[in-house]
Amino acid sequence: MSDNAESPTETQKDEPSTPQQPTEDSGMADDKKKIDVLLKAVGDTPIMKTKKWSVEKGRTVQSLSQFISRFLKMEANEQLFIYVNQSFSPSPDQEVGVLFQCFGSDGKLVLHYCKSQAWG
Amino acid sequence: MADDKDVLRDVWFGRIPTCFTLYQDEITEREAEPFYLLLPRMSYLTLVTDKVKKHFLKVMKAEDIEEMWFDFEGTSLKWHYPIGLLFDLHASNTALPWSITVHFKNFPERDLLHCPSNSVIEAHFMSSIKEADALKHKSQVINDMQKKDHKQLWMGLQNVVLCSSDKFDQFWAMNRKLMEYPTEEGGFRYIPFRIYLTMSDRPFIQKLFRPISPDGHTHTLGDLLKEVYPVAIPNDDESKHYQVVIHGIEPLLETPLQWLSEHLSHPDNFLHISVIPAPSD
Repeated sequence: MSDNAESPTETQKDEPSTPQQPTEDSGMADDKKKIDVLLKAVGDTPIMKTKKWSVEKGRTVQSLSQFISRFLKMEANEQLFIYVNQSFSPSPDQEVGVLFQCFGSDGKLVLHYCKSQAWG
Repeated sequence: MADDKDVLRDVWFGRIPTCFTLYQDEITEREAEPFYLLLPRMSYLTLVTDKVKKHFLKVMKAEDIEEMWFDFEGTSLKWHYPIGLLFDLHASNTALPWSITVHFKNFPERDLLHCPSNSVIEAHFMSSIKEADALKHKSQVINDMQKKDHKQLWMGLQNVVLCSSDKFDQFWAMNRKLMEYPTEEGGFRYIPFRIYLTMSDRPFIQKLFRPISPDGHTHTLGDLLKEVYPVAIPNDDESKHYQVVIHGIEPLLETPLQWLSEHLSHPDNFLHISVIPAPSD
């Protein structure tokens, strides 16, 4: 995962005006391979020095969670909870690209992370 | 509003006759007999297979038991997918009973999530409902519910394994709130759906899709597929290459998506749609 300071100007559309032709093996043919993720700490969870990351669409929530844990130098037995929309915890095998398509805003996906359960 | 109660009941009480066989390389003290069970389509494997575990534990030593997991014809079965979806996706056109292989060793870390307890299943189920409501109502309905209301949804699901009308009513007393929408809108904000493909390395397709177009046209299942997976729809003069399956049936492509969402969603409030190769005659 690379550190990305610039924000792309991809607009989030609800329904594409021209139907996209998916390819059978890869699902949807999208223009970009990476999406912007903004990480926000909840409560007294340590704040990441770098909050904005450019992440590959196919990366899973679990993979991202492990990355944050390592970055924050968390203990092996410490849990990390990830939230979308400050309301639900996505499944660990969920792809960030899908979350971005459904819950992204202003060209990025905002994810809250917490060492304890914040929103149940 | 959800009206067609009969459809809701048929979906709720759907069952799949299943035969569980112990993997041949598991170490047993005596021969293990297969175990037969009617699995509820609406539930999750790890929630309803305690009996299976107990059955095979009778012929195994405790030290040979690790976390139980299942496969069908070499495909590891994800416990966090609803049972009905797993069957439609992997075993639709095979003979009944569904033959599942049971394992207690060599957990496939790359394919499956661990399921150490029922609270993990509950957390996953509630998160799915919350995600669905984020799409349908900007989370307003689920956030207005109290903790005990959430518990009622979970209790309802746990009890789906019982063939009891009370449990259906218990679940739907709460779930019907999640199926409402402002009359002037004509439907939910977006439809919670996932389309699963057998021939893809991607887990599923999930996108924002409205039940009503900006000019008031009611979107159908066919409209959804045309938008996100047009390969599934045959051309007029072509024979059908794919089946689009929900709860073991192929709904007409003209069916309104809003109606499907209200009546054929799983208890997690998602429409789980399987696109599988049509059987060649």
